[in-house]
Amino acid sequence: MNGWMGKLLVVDLASGEITTQPLDMEMARLFIGGRGLGARLLWDLVGPEVEPLSPENVLIIATGPMTATGFQTSNRFSVTTKSPQTGTVLDANSGGTWGMRFKRAGYDALIVKGRAPHPVWLEITPDAITLKDASHLWGMTVPQASEALGQNKNKRNVLCIGPAGENLVRFAAIMNDVSRSAARGGVGAVMGSKNLKAIVVEGDLRVEFEDKDRFRFIQYEATKMLKANPITSQALPEFGTPVMMNILNGLGALPTRNFQQTHFEHAEAISGEAITEQILIDNDACWACPIGCTRVTQTSRAKGEGPEYESAWSFGAACGVADLETIAEANYLCNELGLDTISAGSTIACAMELSERGLLDSDLRFGRAELLLETVEAIAYRRGLGDLLAEGSYRLAERCGVPELSMSVKKLEMPAYDPRGMQGQGLLFATSNRGACHMRGNMLGLEALGVPKLIDRLQVQGKAGYVILNQNGSSVQDSLVACKFANIAVADEYFARALTALTGITYPTGEMLRAGERIWTLERLYNLREGFTRADDTLPPRLLTEPATGNSAGEVSHLEPMLDEYYRARGWTHEGVPRPEKLAELGLAELAEGVL
Amino acid sequence: MIDQRVYEMFRDIGRDMYVHNLVSSHGGNISVRFGDRILIKRRGAMLGRLKPHDIIETGLEKNDSGVALASTELIVHRAIYKATPALAVVHAHPRRAIALSLTRDEIVPIDNEGSYLLKKVPVVSVEFASGTKQMADAIADALCSYKIVFLRGHGSFAIGQTLDEAFQWTDALEEAAEIIFYAKQLNEEMIEYRRMSDSYSKW
Repeated sequence: MNGWMGKLLVVDLASGEITTQPLDMEMARLFIGGRGLGARLLWDLVGPEVEPLSPENVLIIATGPMTATGFQTSNRFSVTTKSPQTGTVLDANSGGTWGMRFKRAGYDALIVKGRAPHPVWLEITPDAITLKDASHLWGMTVPQASEALGQNKNKRNVLCIGPAGENLVRFAAIMNDVSRSAARGGVGAVMGSKNLKAIVVEGDLRVEFEDKDRFRFIQYEATKMLKANPITSQALPEFGTPVMMNILNGLGALPTRNFQQTHFEHAEAISGEAITEQILIDNDACWACPIGCTRVTQTSRAKGEGPEYESAWSFGAACGVADLETIAEANYLCNELGLDTISAGSTIACAMELSERGLLDSDLRFGRAELLLETVEAIAYRRGLGDLLAEGSYRLAERCGVPELSMSVKKLEMPAYDPRGMQGQGLLFATSNRGACHMRGNMLGLEALGVPKLIDRLQVQGKAGYVILNQNGSSVQDSLVACKFANIAVADEYFARALTALTGITYPTGEMLRAGERIWTLERLYNLREGFTRADDTLPPRLLTEPATGNSAGEVSHLEPMLDEYYRARGWTHEGVPRPEKLAELGLAELAEGVL
Repeated sequence: MIDQRVYEMFRDIGRDMYVHNLVSSHGGNISVRFGDRILIKRRGAMLGRLKPHDIIETGLEKNDSGVALASTELIVHRAIYKATPALAVVHAHPRRAIALSLTRDEIVPIDNEGSYLLKKVPVVSVEFASGTKQMADAIADALCSYKIVFLRGHGSFAIGQTLDEAFQWTDALEEAAEIIFYAKQLNEEMIEYRRMSDSYSKW
């Protein structure tokens, strides 16, 4: 077996039964691993009748063939489930060390079924796989639980939920290596609903290669790319992802005060430069990553990791807050309690606007940094107003009678790019299968950074093709599983060649991206089976009607013509349903029978 | 109706290709894919002097009146778009690379930039090397694995997400070919500076 380990681990929490099953190699060839494999398994295991927080939902944690190979950024894993926040197919993806360790324990994926009668944790070691009582861990924060379970980055890796997951916060994260997160869409709530506090892995098995010399040569060439590219060799190591803050603000595409403006007058104060100058004390990196974008920071009151760009934005510009220390501390708190920072900050921003408009009885106001920490904590423990905010911005705004004030797509809060200043990004958010998401084919490269080349960010014609290519590419990256930051410098063809040398299965670049299209289309089918339609592929009305500010002044999103072009280019009907010939081309016709 | 921004992209890349000696007055062609449509240079138009009416729109799959106006190589562009993830295609007639293609089955750059960007450019040989299905299929097939390939004695076909990107591979190839010529003219033993350089021909 080259690339894959060839085994799935299946744990039924209701019965306590633990079994293994062989990996279906044809499935692996077609869907690769990680997100693709997860989506394919979920298709069979979780139908439309299943409530996301019921025992019938499953939690699939999958690595990919590249995981643990030593290829740049080959540390990642993917968590797939039906989302309690959106009701769509969901995968959330994380770096760190845990994914590499899990694969070295000998498995490609873990499928968790059922609900344990009481809190448990799962231990996977070379000697045994055991479910253990977690009563003493329940209620612990992520650092507390990680320490109690013997977290050791180099040997024993802990993945767990915090209080937010236990309390079924709809945007609870799953954390690993203390501060790395698979965050979006409520994967932590699903884990909490199963009474599963943690999964601890040890393992030192090695991945086998079809042609190791060839693989290492491709890796060597990829190293040249990463070293030569100023984004991966300078900007990310020096400033982390917040390097984007001033760039996006300069474009007039930095969503501000719940997307009421697209330029934040205090962006400089929360930028990557400010973080590096004021609170950065060290860099860190995920396993096998030469980039090292992780920020280890310290404020006058606390120390932790972050903030990433999205977190600095969600607690910063989105909330009208320019207090960098408080933003960093809100990020630390999310890590400790196990919360998605994007949804947490954006939901608070939504609450701020609702309060300012007199639609919500709270003291939250834009710019009131002093309320951030207590609000985050209230969300995680579902205390007072926090109980309502724990449902996410859409359900919050809906409760207040104005769902349109939730800046979300399919109930998932949008990340830190305003579609009015980046037309393609708007199409990406509208069509993303797990709801608004920048990690599903980010147009940042093409529309802002010039990766591979700069295109006009306000151009509408032709944008669909770029978005589709990026979406298919991101599906592959999430299935290999590799980090999208490596993909900034290392083009798809390197990954295709590495995958071929690793597995012995020939993946020309186009064929690898075809697998990405297959994965994307399967996820689309899943959502169609759940009842989603074209009407769900949209943006909040604010973005379609209220003009942007700053250097995108006067712009609105021109979504409809892009969406028409997108469906045509994907080979879907005007209603967004894949045509039979497209399904046949991708080998999905049989799967889709009786669904469409 | 062609967006002004799109026209300017065609105009600038076309002009650069002519200025860089990558095509003769009426040679070469370029296109982009927009969803299920293709925008391609008009047949007989001069790449170095493109006007808005020289950008022809037609279907990726289906014919329409645009095919009467489009470049002779439309068939190749269509085949490439159907077989690969390309969103832009640049076809040029780079002279030194054409000469090299007459003596070898692959062009392996020896300069740093060429090695870094291209690794290797395979040379494809077909009997009817202009606007035929046989040629279109051979080129499209080769571009499934490489971002730029060479049709022996004819020219290069490069793909990219943008015209800019496909042009870069084309220009880099001709630069690499020129350096190979210079190195050969020196007729001295080459001092290898690249680790694992034998592996480039296996790319």
